[in-house]
Amino acid sequence: MSARDDILAAIRAGLTHGRDGALPRQTPAQIAAEAAALLADPDEIRPVPAGPDPVASFIAKCANPALGVTLDRVPGWAALPQAVMAYLASHDLAPRIAVSADARLDALAGAGLETHRDIAPLEPAAISVAQWGIAETGSVVIHSAPDQPILNAMLPRHWLVAVEEDRILPFLDDYAALAAPAPRNAVMITGSSGTTDIEGYFVRGAHGPGFVHVLLISR
Amino acid sequence: MADAAFKTRAHDALADANLKTAIDRTTGTAETKRAAAVDAFPEFQAARARAAAIKDHVIANLDHYLIAFEQNATAAGAQVHWARDAAEAAAIVSRICSDAGAKIVTRAKSMLGEEIGLPHALDDAGIERVETDLAEHIIQLAHERPSHIIWPAMHRTREDVAALFFKDHHPPPDADDAASMVASARRVLREKFLAADVGISGANFLVADTGATCTVTNEGNAELSTTPPRVHIVTAGIEKIVPSTDHAMALLRVLVRSATGGEVTQYTTFHCGPRRAGDADGPEEMHIVLVDNGRARMVGDEFRQMLRCIRCGACMNHCVVYRQIGGHAYGGTYPGPMGAVLTPVLDGLAQSRDLPHACTMNGRCEEVCPVRIPLKTLLKAWRLRTWDEGLVEKPVRYGLGLWGFAACRPRLYRMGTRMALPVLRLFGRGWIRKLPLAGGWTATRDLPAPAARSFMDQYERQQKEARK
Repeated sequence: MSARDDILAAIRAGLTHGRDGALPRQTPAQIAAEAAALLADPDEIRPVPAGPDPVASFIAKCANPALGVTLDRVPGWAALPQAVMAYLASHDLAPRIAVSADARLDALAGAGLETHRDIAPLEPAAISVAQWGIAETGSVVIHSAPDQPILNAMLPRHWLVAVEEDRILPFLDDYAALAAPAPRNAVMITGSSGTTDIEGYFVRGAHGPGFVHVLLISR
Repeated sequence: MADAAFKTRAHDALADANLKTAIDRTTGTAETKRAAAVDAFPEFQAARARAAAIKDHVIANLDHYLIAFEQNATAAGAQVHWARDAAEAAAIVSRICSDAGAKIVTRAKSMLGEEIGLPHALDDAGIERVETDLAEHIIQLAHERPSHIIWPAMHRTREDVAALFFKDHHPPPDADDAASMVASARRVLREKFLAADVGISGANFLVADTGATCTVTNEGNAELSTTPPRVHIVTAGIEKIVPSTDHAMALLRVLVRSATGGEVTQYTTFHCGPRRAGDADGPEEMHIVLVDNGRARMVGDEFRQMLRCIRCGACMNHCVVYRQIGGHAYGGTYPGPMGAVLTPVLDGLAQSRDLPHACTMNGRCEEVCPVRIPLKTLLKAWRLRTWDEGLVEKPVRYGLGLWGFAACRPRLYRMGTRMALPVLRLFGRGWIRKLPLAGGWTATRDLPAPAARSFMDQYERQQKEARK
């Protein structure tokens, strides 16, 4: 028998002739019903929102210093170049930034910023557009795609990420509900990269960005 | 790992003041942060109960979910492999690496990788293995094994790490504070991430209905290990299955709070198959190795509930024994209370029979476990098996046999205690410091001297007086 057959046979033997007696075997429909029931009453097992609406909650969560995130509210995509320039200047960075192929970032090139698509291994700053934001945790989610290189979120020292206000979901579950069909790679990013591996002491910027700046785009 | 040496290892660990300092610094912080996270989440107890129920549901239908996961992962373009044991799993990974012509392999920390002996297998295959988790990088430089499942280098103080980095990093760190050393590791590892041919990660969850694997990290090393290389290999225990992404989120809430005290990890990443047409980056091949290594058998024995474990490490952070001796003294891949239950499964009870006994039964581990594993009960089950399988030392066996004989005969037992009490009282008043034939026990402990009369005698006397 193959390893697969052996393992499945051992599991079935354990379930039907186990030490604690046989577990009743269920049909796929019964299993699905039981799995769904385990998600009932979601409010009982998740935290109460940090604000009156998802956008307010998201902003409140990003304000948590433990996350290592800064946030700017940007009044529409047209105001993005100015916000990016201001951020780079405030960190004494040159007006250069790596961009993904997302068309909404095209306007950056014309606004006094030098943009490039090939990200360098030690890139100082890059900007991506997130598919979603999650209010419960202050996370942003990126999905791999032709215009969404995952490495742009991981290699730079400063990662800027634009997300539209109406893409902010209240809870982790709301994002999970949108998970099928699954993208090849979905990365839920909550704050800057960090480690506590040396004596439990938190250090920012372990392998990924040491600075994450969220640009919350309103309509 | 010869467990005959457990007592020696524990003894050595207790004498190591540097180790004690290192453990105290990290477990102390972990305990405080977890407590704060739980206080800030009043729904925690309900979420724990639900998490336990989700895991029980998966285990009761494990065959169903594994097949669904395999189907969906395959449909997404991943190649699914099955391994009965550690050797088979390590051989599959080595073969995939050699098929890919791999020279450099980056690894994102996975305890299952340690369990199946992946570091050795890759070294033996002549592949350059780069551990990318900061703690794993530290222990790779020190040629050690992890001593904790969340903080593998917990046994190392900042000063130890500085010594290692100054010796091995070129150029060396700018200073010996934690931030400078993290920056130095970032520099050294960045080149490796981009040069690797294969990236190997574990999985915190295998999502049955999408075929995705989920990995959580705080450093971002998983994404950097799994995105640039041509091949991504995931090794995961078969118990990591969850029905859906939604169920994964429910478990994530209790996992992270219990492990680090955060609400969610900095990076929670779902991988579903290899690079798709037009994708800007990502691996060309994705392999998933589903590892049994004793787990299927646990479905049918008294250790089934141990399959709930989501590897948060809270049980060891709160364990009075772990906090005295650290992880290496346990001798297995997994230390602390969860390790004392799992190591006999993985390495055999004869090799690890001391572990279930190295427990005070104070129950802290059960109180903090996010999936409510009855760890005390499971440790007692191993103690029972140790007896049933004749693995208890002869003097203890005979002694207990003798006691058992007397205990079944109340008159004999009472006569014995009546005779023993005055004898014991000859050796001390208040406390007995030395006792013939019991030197092993009294060397490190004092025995309270017994009362003049046994409980039964006093009880009989009181009953008589009450009747007068």
